[in-house]
Amino acid sequence: MIAPRLRRRLGRGLLLGFFSVLLVAYVAGPVAWLVSSSLQTDAQITAIPPNWLPPEPTLANFEAIFGAKSEVVTYETRRQGDPATTRFLPSGAENLLPSLANSFSVGLWVALLNLVLSVTAAYAIAVIPFRGRRGALYAILVTRVIPDIALIVPLFLLVRALGLVNTQTALVTTYLAVTIPFTIFILISYFESIPADLYRAARVDGCSHVAALRHVYLPLALPAVIASLMFAFLTSWNEFIFALILTQNVAAQTLPIVISGFVMDFTTSFSFVNAAGVIAIVPPVVLAMLFERYIVSGLTAGAVKG
Amino acid sequence: MQMFRGLSYDERNAWLLVAPVFAVLVAVALYPIAYSFYTSLYDIVLTRPWRRPFVGTGNYERILADPQFWIAVQRTTVYTLVTVAATTILALGVALLLNEAFPGRRLLSALILLPWATPSIVNGLMWKWIYDPSYGLLNALLLKLGMIERYTVWLGDPAKTLFMIANAAVWKQMPLAAILMLVTMKAIPADLYRAARVDGANAFQRFIHVTLPALKPGFMLVLVYETMISIRHFDLFLIMTQGGPGDASYTLSWQIYVETFRSLKFGLGAALSYILAMATFLLSWMFIRMLGRGMEK
Amino acid sequence: MARIRLAGIAKRFGAVAALEKLDLEIADREFMVLLGPSGCGKTTTLNIVAGLEEPSEGQVFFDADDVTEVPPHRREVAMVFQSYALYPQKSVFENIAFGLRLRGMPSDEIARRVRGAAEQLEITHLLERRPSQLSGGQRQRVALGRAIVRQPRVFLMDEPLSNLDAALRVSMRTLIKKLHRQVETTVVYVTHDQAEAMTLADRITVMRGGVVQQIDTPAGIYDRPRNRFVAGFLGAPQMNFLAGEIGPGGGDFRRGDLSLAIAGTLQPGRKAILGIRPEDCAPAEGGPADIEGRVTLVSPLGSEQHVNLAVGDAELVFRLDKGLRVAPGDALGLRIQPERLHLFDAQSEERLEGARP
Repeated sequence: MIAPRLRRRLGRGLLLGFFSVLLVAYVAGPVAWLVSSSLQTDAQITAIPPNWLPPEPTLANFEAIFGAKSEVVTYETRRQGDPATTRFLPSGAENLLPSLANSFSVGLWVALLNLVLSVTAAYAIAVIPFRGRRGALYAILVTRVIPDIALIVPLFLLVRALGLVNTQTALVTTYLAVTIPFTIFILISYFESIPADLYRAARVDGCSHVAALRHVYLPLALPAVIASLMFAFLTSWNEFIFALILTQNVAAQTLPIVISGFVMDFTTSFSFVNAAGVIAIVPPVVLAMLFERYIVSGLTAGAVKG
Repeated sequence: MQMFRGLSYDERNAWLLVAPVFAVLVAVALYPIAYSFYTSLYDIVLTRPWRRPFVGTGNYERILADPQFWIAVQRTTVYTLVTVAATTILALGVALLLNEAFPGRRLLSALILLPWATPSIVNGLMWKWIYDPSYGLLNALLLKLGMIERYTVWLGDPAKTLFMIANAAVWKQMPLAAILMLVTMKAIPADLYRAARVDGANAFQRFIHVTLPALKPGFMLVLVYETMISIRHFDLFLIMTQGGPGDASYTLSWQIYVETFRSLKFGLGAALSYILAMATFLLSWMFIRMLGRGMEK
Repeated sequence: MARIRLAGIAKRFGAVAALEKLDLEIADREFMVLLGPSGCGKTTTLNIVAGLEEPSEGQVFFDADDVTEVPPHRREVAMVFQSYALYPQKSVFENIAFGLRLRGMPSDEIARRVRGAAEQLEITHLLERRPSQLSGGQRQRVALGRAIVRQPRVFLMDEPLSNLDAALRVSMRTLIKKLHRQVETTVVYVTHDQAEAMTLADRITVMRGGVVQQIDTPAGIYDRPRNRFVAGFLGAPQMNFLAGEIGPGGGDFRRGDLSLAIAGTLQPGRKAILGIRPEDCAPAEGGPADIEGRVTLVSPLGSEQHVNLAVGDAELVFRLDKGLRVAPGDALGLRIQPERLHLFDAQSEERLEGARP
């Protein structure tokens, strides 16, 4: 006869275990399938019933990505490719790697610049008592109310007038405007949880506002800073619409655009597309996993030791 | 007094620190917003760029009279409702689970970030592959579990389209919502639970009377945020269904895209954008009013 | 060292006035205590002296310099806080040295000063530790070290002892008093604890609702409170108050059957409030008594006893020698000197002074 207390504990353990497994399956399942698919050939992928795990894992798809050269696409080469049975490379496959580089570059710039801009503005709004502080915050947050689609055409015209089409500058600046409101919000919440006495002590000790930011607020707000960096990088890695419109030629395009091109091309080999997806997923996932702890505590305002 | 003699030290610093952000936002957000509004007042069609009469509210009137618009409204409403509801409920469940202490919890917390980190393009592509009518995982799985008799069409079935897309959206958005709720949950003082236990409340009652009320601000935040995002989802629709089949997934965002970039009716597209923006603004306003009664900030 | 002058200071937040018509002069090297209940504006005043807040009206002077527009990091003030406000990621040494580093002082000079301050405060053995590893009392010593090492013009202290437990508070009070004598610098000290104010201050400024009630030496405030609020705020147990009126002869206070002679004369029939400090009495011991009543409660404190006395329809508290044997239910008579009585106008609550011939 199991003691009631033990029984409750077992019951709780079983319940937690059950839901945990469910959660893992839900969250990781689709991605696992994506990875598995990328390691199979088209023939294996289109088998019915499908191979859950690759029967003989192959890196052929990835080789194709990393080694693709521009193939002359003629009627012949296309006809040779039966998407269901052989590997067929979509035209433009060679653009994947360069676009990867573009995405990285843009992402890094956005993350860094975002940090510089957001931290200074967040400090001012959170800490300095000045007239118009509320209004400034609302103005910043309100810019995100208009859907991006509405902004595309005028933005494109502006960018074109400035001769900045196909430049990283245009993308970076656009993404900055897109990410700043959220990161400012996170940073402000975090700054506000830092005890006011610490600010007073620093100012009286001899810190100008910039010095106070540097010596007191930044060191204590590390989680929020990391969360902001992550968010800025991931958002620009992810971003699609603006990149679609602001970059016209393949040299400047970012990863999502190139991948979407594959998907639209209905003769594409599925396993290849999945492989491309895996590549697109790796950097953000690695970053998120590495910095998970900071992301969560960065979103938690009010956990500061004072 | 002294104060009116120019700005004080604090104020000068504050504006200097905020200026760069403003500069970026004015260029990238403000100017396009204003220009967009301006455009919406004109009948601009790029196929006949020489004639651009001022129509004032003409575009808006045309839109409101267009049955296609109302279909788009219906699609958007259904989609947003489903997505927000599913995201919020799932997020709550996940947050509750992660709030408990058990071995492996840290790992699980890190793992749930997987969907959040997935680019929406990859998300769409991944689910599209899973939904594939001929080779997809969903069909295989359900067949194996005996829930369906043969391979069915998922995305291509107008009755199911919106829900399948919503599923992909929920999968990606749920982690962030769960984290936001978890963070709120962790702030609930332990003493409240202790008092409840002493009063004789069991786990379920504690959930109803302590957890839920204290979660209100987190709940509201998630609702507002999710609604604002879901209402304007575009990427998934572009990758997965392109508004189809037929107009099964013809949402407002899609309509804006079609009118602006396919029909090239810039004026109309701009007007539509503004309607969507107004709707988003109003909804957020409403939620924030309700939220404002729950908490101060 | 600096003489501080606040002239016509007002601080308003929208329609709410945190401070009104504040005029205050603090002499060089004086220890001035701002005393009052929470929300009375004492911390706001301190912030204005520090430059952390700007007044809506008025000016701040250090000696002859108008520093109203000068930001805090240029005012040469040092501050000590109730929450200690030590930089959590810095060592104790770095915490103390921070202000000096910001001013570009050479490292050896910094080290010299920091060690000097540490010795003075007996925290030399803690210099390499982090604030989180210290007790409350130790943290506050570090905070004091941080302040004195900068040799500022003014020390500002915002309820520095309120987070400490009772015994520690007393020893820290003594430390602060000693430091003040050693550094010979003006101190402005904020507290709501009247015992701290009485023991530390050269002068006390009592504040309430943003308005100054009285500025005087501790003895002056205690013996000649300017209004009922000040009278009730200082002294524990609180002063006894009785509402009544001046007798027909103008020389006594009447309430029901009670009649007490007062010093000097006041307008007969005038409505007044009588104040009696619990210690301003002596047992009548069979002789003539000024106040008679029935004992309702006896609270022995070890060094003395507090006796609650029902007098008519009122209950008063008195501090009596512990040797006196009283028990609840006993009748007790007390003698009070008229000079020790305080009278306040019933309407304005201002102090009344009887006219002398």
